[in-house]
Amino acid sequence: MVMISGASSPLYAKRRRRNVITMGLSFAATAFGLSWLVLILGVLLWEGFSGLSLAVFTEMTPPPGAAGGLLNPIIGSLVMTSIAVAIGTPLGMLAGTYMAEYGRYDKLTTVVRFINDILLSAPSIVIGLFVYEIMVAQMGHFSGWAGAVSLAVIVVPVVVRTTEDMLTLVPDTLREAAASIGLPRALMITKVAYRAARAGMITGVLLAIARISGETAPLLFTALNNQFWSTDLNAPVASLPVVIFQFALSPYKDWQKLAWTGALIITLAVLALSIIARLLAAQRKSS
Amino acid sequence: MQPAGRRPVVDVALQGGTMSVAEQVDRAKVLQRLRLGDAAFRHLTRAAAVTVLVILGGIIVSLIHGSWPALRTFGFSFLTQTSWNPVTEKFGALAPIYGTVVTSFIAMLIAVPVGLFIALFLTELCPMWLRRPIGIAIELLAGIPSIIYGIWGLFVFAPFLQQYVQPFLITVFGSVPVLSTLFEGPPYGIGILTAGLILAIMVLPFITSISRDVFEAVPPVLKEAAYGLGCTTWEVARYVVLPYARVGVIGGVMLGLGRALGETMAVTFVIGNAHRISGSILAPGTTISATIANEFTEAVGDLYTSALIALGLILFAITFIVLAFARLMLMRLNTRVGV
Amino acid sequence: MSVAAFTVPTVTHAASSVEGLLEKISIRNLDFFYGDNRALKNINCSLYQGKVTAFVGPSGCGKSTLLRVLNRMYDLYPNQRASGHVQLDDEDILASSQDLNLLRAKVGMVFQKPTPFPMTIFENIAFGIRLYERLSKSDLEGRVQHALQRAALWEEVKDKLNANGLSLSGGQQQRLCIARTVAVRPEVILFDEPCSALDPISTAKIEELIDELKDDYTIAIVTHNMQQAARVSDFTAFMYLGELVEYGETTRMFTTPNDRRTQDYITGRFG
Repeated sequence: MVMISGASSPLYAKRRRRNVITMGLSFAATAFGLSWLVLILGVLLWEGFSGLSLAVFTEMTPPPGAAGGLLNPIIGSLVMTSIAVAIGTPLGMLAGTYMAEYGRYDKLTTVVRFINDILLSAPSIVIGLFVYEIMVAQMGHFSGWAGAVSLAVIVVPVVVRTTEDMLTLVPDTLREAAASIGLPRALMITKVAYRAARAGMITGVLLAIARISGETAPLLFTALNNQFWSTDLNAPVASLPVVIFQFALSPYKDWQKLAWTGALIITLAVLALSIIARLLAAQRKSS
Repeated sequence: MQPAGRRPVVDVALQGGTMSVAEQVDRAKVLQRLRLGDAAFRHLTRAAAVTVLVILGGIIVSLIHGSWPALRTFGFSFLTQTSWNPVTEKFGALAPIYGTVVTSFIAMLIAVPVGLFIALFLTELCPMWLRRPIGIAIELLAGIPSIIYGIWGLFVFAPFLQQYVQPFLITVFGSVPVLSTLFEGPPYGIGILTAGLILAIMVLPFITSISRDVFEAVPPVLKEAAYGLGCTTWEVARYVVLPYARVGVIGGVMLGLGRALGETMAVTFVIGNAHRISGSILAPGTTISATIANEFTEAVGDLYTSALIALGLILFAITFIVLAFARLMLMRLNTRVGV
Repeated sequence: MSVAAFTVPTVTHAASSVEGLLEKISIRNLDFFYGDNRALKNINCSLYQGKVTAFVGPSGCGKSTLLRVLNRMYDLYPNQRASGHVQLDDEDILASSQDLNLLRAKVGMVFQKPTPFPMTIFENIAFGIRLYERLSKSDLEGRVQHALQRAALWEEVKDKLNANGLSLSGGQQQRLCIARTVAVRPEVILFDEPCSALDPISTAKIEELIDELKDDYTIAIVTHNMQQAARVSDFTAFMYLGELVEYGETTRMFTTPNDRRTQDYITGRFG
């Protein structure tokens, strides 16, 4: 009977040892990575939760030393986010529709896809500078509109990408079935393809909202900030991320407390959106 | 062969069966009417696609336009000077560029190996039931807005580093010849190292999830062939999986790098905002995005503002190159795997 | 438009029995190209009103390609083109001035894989009708019911018209697609291997359906199942490697084919 040669040789032992070490490393790496999540979320919950109260949602930002809430930045964020989505989503959807439908074999589509992917990961502070140049510098003042536009510029690439991906997943047989009853192209896209890709496209919009909810840099010099209640979008508008930025860097303890609470609110909103998006995606898979 | 007969041209919808009323519907008219809307929709979508290009073009043009005064005044020395003096209006971008590059480098140094090992764990070692939860956890980490990293870094991480880690580093490397300059100086807590570490945590989920996707795309037959020869898991990973997935991993790393370079909020809180270059990574410094974020609204004078926009232009140029490279890598991967 | 002089087809036709039949679609000298690859070579054929014509042949012979010329479905894709003459009544289908949507309203198609729209059963049918006609609610419901009856699906779905079309079984989905096609009142219906994804019972139902439908429409069916062709069709065309080898009455084709290749295929010598 022949023994498997080398089973107890020093080379084999070394290989086995190396395997154990690297497997241990990968396990440690995972624990390492996960522990940061726990640490960050844990601290966030701890610090932010204790400051959470009804006043946060009903009162405006206070001067240092006084009590108050985060009403105006929350409203400001909601308003600018809504406008950004209202502008960016149709634009992104139409562009994605062109890339997946009319222009599927087009040279233009290849270029747009490449550029879009770069815009997707571009530094958001540069987007802020861009909107500053074209809006704030031109208009002569900061404004909520500029803030909304800078967020919209971040929304567009996300929506373009998900729209194109989702429409491409719609099988061509469905398109041919629609064509076979004489349906013109535009109706085939809007009434059949969109309906088939609906869940995926909604997911894309939700992800875009989650993305811009936490964006601070582009708002810093477009919408600026506003201590007071204001419904004028033509003037600086408070937003949650910018207020957190300002309060956290300040030396005042109660401002810092509000900053943590605001951070918690944003994180919970982003998590909620991600969960809904995930549920929609799972539902789509099962149907 | 003779055709037996022909129908007239006018389109009359046939009676399909037992309908009582004979209906003549002129479908041609309906379709004619719809044709206009059809063409309009096509042009609309095309215009929207072109708008994406216009946005990019607009960014480039506006950045160049805004930075022109500064570039014209300082010329090439803008890239080589460290002095940043709003009073005398002498601006040099070297310190922010240095900070951006070094913090990103530290971030990648940590995030790439850790991310690859996590991806390895997820694809080879992790029990099935644990894979999805951990995957979700990684995505959660990626989804946390950067400002949260910022305040966490400022209030939790930096003090921790200041109290325990940095003194430790100083004592350990204090006597080592070259490295002592690297870890020199009072433990501020904030500084280049701290910013780099926070960036590492931020970039980690990206590298992990892209690497995991690419590892999972390796055909099982390749791995089975290696296992069949008696390779250990590590050897399969090193000699089969990683080479196969190499292009995708590089693409993912480049994407992570692009993100690290452009990250603002996480860095601004903990970098210390000092316009200087020092040999020690424990010292405060600044990055391009942190400089812009901190100083833009306070900038007085056109040259100051222009200098900041010029910084933005430099940042955009660097990230554009990195991201374009990443996309090219990933595109090549798609064509090869046949995705 | 006058029919240009065409070359004598090198196809064996049974001439006698086509008298008294209306030629609905005539195909003359049809070539089809995928890029530079010539997939159909000089096809000459006729489809008659009220009759079912089957196209059979081994995989890759071009039968589906030919079918998809008849409603210009290939126009959706680049690098595909056809040349020759294809006439529907008096109109040249291949002309660039042809209104494609109108053509496809007249020439309906049922596909291999059932593809109901992602809508309710009712909407699947009503959608096509509404495209062309303004009907009152009751008229629309009547038309939908009629279409579903003609597709032999009404009894099975009349209580769940608001259910999603995708919730039906495969055979039911295919009948839904047939109902959808019939609802827009075409003149010709093309079936592209309609039963290949279905079980034998559904297949039998659909073959029955085709037999009922042929009185009012001109039907062309592509099938790789020769027994099906023998059961269902009045005329059969045998295709091989992009050529129309033989064409004639089904009974004659299956008992005494003129061409050697036809005989070999039918007897299973190759396939």
